[in-house]
Amino acid sequence: MPIGPFGIDPTIWAVLRLVIAVALTIFLVLNGALVQIFLERKIQAVMQDRVGPYHTGPFGLLQTFADAIKLLGKEDIRAKLTDAPFFLAAPAIVFSPMVASFVVLPFGPDFTGVNLNVGLLYLTTLGSMTVLGIVIAGWASNNKYSLMGGLRSAGQLISYEVPGILGLVTVVLYVGSLSMVDITNAQPGPLVNAFILPFAFLTYFIAALAETNRNPFDLPEAESELVAGFLTEYSGMRWGVFFLAEYGEVTVVSAIMATLWFGGWHGPGVDAVPLLGVIWFTLKTYFFVLLFMWIRATLPRLRIDQLMGFCWKVLIPLALVNILLTAVLILAFPDPRLPIAVANWALVALLVVGLPFTQRRRLLRFRTRTRESVGMRDARLAP
Amino acid sequence: MFDFLEPLFFALFALGIIGAGAAVVLLRRITAQALLMALTFACMAGMFLLLGAETIALFQVLIYVGAITILILFGVMFTKQEERAYGLFFQKQAPLATGLAVIVALPVVILAFSFKDPATPSARGSDLIPLATSLFTDYAFPFEVASVLLLAALVGAIVLVKRDDQ
Repeated sequence: MPIGPFGIDPTIWAVLRLVIAVALTIFLVLNGALVQIFLERKIQAVMQDRVGPYHTGPFGLLQTFADAIKLLGKEDIRAKLTDAPFFLAAPAIVFSPMVASFVVLPFGPDFTGVNLNVGLLYLTTLGSMTVLGIVIAGWASNNKYSLMGGLRSAGQLISYEVPGILGLVTVVLYVGSLSMVDITNAQPGPLVNAFILPFAFLTYFIAALAETNRNPFDLPEAESELVAGFLTEYSGMRWGVFFLAEYGEVTVVSAIMATLWFGGWHGPGVDAVPLLGVIWFTLKTYFFVLLFMWIRATLPRLRIDQLMGFCWKVLIPLALVNILLTAVLILAFPDPRLPIAVANWALVALLVVGLPFTQRRRLLRFRTRTRESVGMRDARLAP
Repeated sequence: MFDFLEPLFFALFALGIIGAGAAVVLLRRITAQALLMALTFACMAGMFLLLGAETIALFQVLIYVGAITILILFGVMFTKQEERAYGLFFQKQAPLATGLAVIVALPVVILAFSFKDPATPSARGSDLIPLATSLFTDYAFPFEVASVLLLAALVGAIVLVKRDDQ
């Protein structure tokens, strides 16, 4: 009889391994959300010159636990005219793809659930499925605000999926693999992909902000316009599940960024102690989680036309140029690192320097148009 | 020990495809139809997985569940939720529709029952590289033609929805 790890029969181990992986994932998702909510409150409090939670537990550490228990104990309310099966299914449709994403994340050397050779494609596929849940939630709530939130979400997420995937494709072209483990192994040294492909990172970062519905792209749940968007009719733990899914998605996209551009689990001392890789990976992931929070506390929300215009007129064309340049340079040079880096940094400079110029021209155009219309109104009002 | 799993999953996916597909046609609730269509697509992705073509399966979910169903729902969301007589418009065409359906279905049925055991699929592993090589070498010309067609459709859609005053 063949003996697997820990002296367990391999067929049983295959099942046991799955059970352990799912249990660990749920543990990670739930606790990650608790930690992130606490961090978000504290960080926003510091940035807005407040104290933040401090009553419950030391430094307010137990506040999120108290909130979670409150959510669980809340009455389960469903408005009468909501479409019951869809209303109840929507949180699950949003939540389950996010949990499934954790399977391919490379937490450390030998700490990956499954080393899928199409891991990155798997992650983008699952990421695209959450829109379905949000749209259903918006429609089934039978509420105009929810419907608007769902519609906005559908438009926004489908649009920003394009530059996000284009950003990922650039890295895949450069590394030559879709496997998360291979991509991590391709950047062992300090020269991580972020130095070579900064523009791809920038496009993916912006798209990731939009895909996780974070500021400045949180139009689907814009409180000042839509009450709470697609979340309006949800309360109690169903609402909580949506938020768990949002924080989980933030973790997943942060982990993708940490893996693809910042070397994943690689860091000082990993070769000697493999377990250290998990710590490096977590630190890198949480760096991006904190960056998301920083942006949320800093930037105002965009308008829907600005959002779409930026995606289709700026991000997608530049991302396409980036892919073309990267592909040509990989074919043209035996060691394409320097030319690709030059091209990418040039595109970053173009975006950063060019945006104010185009915005200034638009502003001037708006101003003259407003002046003209005001002039016409004054002429009409004149006796 | 787990040999029964593959036929079991095949049965599940087949049931999903046929059942959900029939429900899409027969049901009267348009949101449910859209979601069941997503289920059909997902089950088809499962079939691809069983055949060892995980890349195609993932693309199936990414494009059909993640994008096309959303677009359909996007259109459906503008409809009202209460019951209405969707059937009225099509009721007169029932004999014609049956005839057409039979004409389309006959070759498919004949093909399905005359189908012999296919060549065994290549060893389990990645279908990514075979897929890429066939797309960009053997079938490069049809691939480019299809992409030009899609581009033309895209440009046409933009021209159609463009406002006149701009």
